Amino acid sequence: MATTTISKNIPVPKKRSHGLTIMTRTILNSRTPLVAGCFYGLFFAILLAAIYPAIAQAHINAYLQSNIIAVMIGGHISNISGFTAFLGIEIYSALYGLLFGGIIAYIGGAAIPVTIENGTLDLALSRPISRTRYYLECWMSTLTCGVIIGLMIVLAVWIDTFLIKDAGINWQWLWITQFVQWAFLFFAAGLGMLLGSFIDASRAAGGAAVGIIVLGYLINTFGALSDKFNWLLKIEPFYYAPGIDPLVNHQLTWWYPWVLVVAGLILGIAGLVVFNKRDFPAV
Amino acid sequence: MTTQEPVIVIDKLEKSYGKIQAVRGISMSVKRGEIFGFLGPNGAGKTTTIRCMLDVIRPSAGTIRVLGIDAQQDKLALHKRIGYLPGEVRLPGQMTGKQVIDYFSRLQGLEPVMLNDLIARFDVEVKRPMKSYSKGMRQKIGIVLAFMCDPEVLILDEPTSGLDPLLQKTFHELLQEEQAREKTIFMSSHIMSDVEKVCQRVAVIRNGELVTIEEVEKLREKAGQRVIVEFGDTVTKEELAAIPGVIDVTKNNRAYHLNVGGSMDPLIKSFSRHEVLRMQAEEAPLEEVFLKFYEEPEKATTAKQ
Repeated sequence: MATTTISKNIPVPKKRSHGLTIMTRTILNSRTPLVAGCFYGLFFAILLAAIYPAIAQAHINAYLQSNIIAVMIGGHISNISGFTAFLGIEIYSALYGLLFGGIIAYIGGAAIPVTIENGTLDLALSRPISRTRYYLECWMSTLTCGVIIGLMIVLAVWIDTFLIKDAGINWQWLWITQFVQWAFLFFAAGLGMLLGSFIDASRAAGGAAVGIIVLGYLINTFGALSDKFNWLLKIEPFYYAPGIDPLVNHQLTWWYPWVLVVAGLILGIAGLVVFNKRDFPAV
Repeated sequence: MTTQEPVIVIDKLEKSYGKIQAVRGISMSVKRGEIFGFLGPNGAGKTTTIRCMLDVIRPSAGTIRVLGIDAQQDKLALHKRIGYLPGEVRLPGQMTGKQVIDYFSRLQGLEPVMLNDLIARFDVEVKRPMKSYSKGMRQKIGIVLAFMCDPEVLILDEPTSGLDPLLQKTFHELLQEEQAREKTIFMSSHIMSDVEKVCQRVAVIRNGELVTIEEVEKLREKAGQRVIVEFGDTVTKEELAAIPGVIDVTKNNRAYHLNVGGSMDPLIKSFSRHEVLRMQAEEAPLEEVFLKFYEEPEKATTAKQ
């Protein structure tokens, strides 16, 4: 074993930039669900391109236009023709929020508790880093994961255009649809951050956030079954993130995504308040 | 802040978790350049106090000032100047030692000027992922993280936990060198020998209450001496217990075991009236004093007085 003694002349430590260290570390901590989200986005879009020639010839319009499918995908397509319609059903429907929203909610929910579990939160907060900064960097990392997954899906759709002749994608409306879905992911991130701010176990916090997204999806499904349940639609997030309408029908109620942005902001800020007030458990 | 003022001042600190009072109005201060031991049994409130000092948990009442800075009001200014070692070092399994050091050095906002010396001294492995580290290896990384940016005050929770005797010795040397450089060290410990070797003063906490604050030298005096004596004639236990300075007497076969505080003179004079076959005297271990504080509230209160 070494027996070196510490030299007496220790220089004064030079300052070092904090950078976005916590944000980078949180993204790295979230790499498993992030990679899963990117993989599913790529996989479904490429798979759709691969099977599109076959399903375009199949007589399944009546099936896809049925009420059951409409409530499952959170929208009704009156004219199923062309690649965009199938893209709307398979990726940019309510299933987008369920799958990718669930992944982002999980990432947001686990972002802080995972650092309680691995012992880095105590050590980080004993350094000159405010709780607000710590929380905001975690939130930013969750949003960055949402941006990465969204871009990966757009990239996959772009790849599809090379695989399918006359894909007929209206890129302006595809980007609008993507922004609507990002608004949903923003909501999911805020929800996850709020739950992660007071639940100490990462799986419990992430799981609870996913559970709320799934509950929202179920309400969206039941709410669409009958006019009597229409009010249910308005209290869940999927209603405000239509994918099929902008992508396929080229129409959008402009303020719908803002409901999700505002709700996500309120949830995220509520989490920040909780995070700033609470005590953290010892490892 | 002048050099005469205490570096750490804890004033009437209280911390409750619902109905459970973890810390009950403790007050103490630590001088500049002092190594201060903070002792107590499990669940006494040591870690709670330390975590209040770092603002990881918030006190229910009372104040903590370190380097003249309020630990709750201006924690960022304070955290620039302190180093912290948690009670259990648990770091992300996928990160290597080097990544962990770089991460926390960035969060500290300072270059780790003592890093190379610490790595050489403690023989720290930094290339492997943390999941392959033993408890002792993680503890070494924890020590590096606490000391690497050369902080003015070190707050250490069970610092030698998991270290082998050689590393414990190296750590004691490090503490003494840091003390020579006017650094203030506040450390909790379960290991009495740690405290005996390096601390100038100790505070003992039990059930969230401060039992005593004492200089280690004075505690050593209080510990007194342990005498084992065997007589050739008849001597009763009561007679020995009546000798001034004798704290307690027990009989083991033919030998009497006495704990003696203060001067040995009355004891020797009393023994001289009998036939002494064998006598052995040694300093009582400090551990026994600490254990008394841990276990016996009445005696602890007497000692405090």
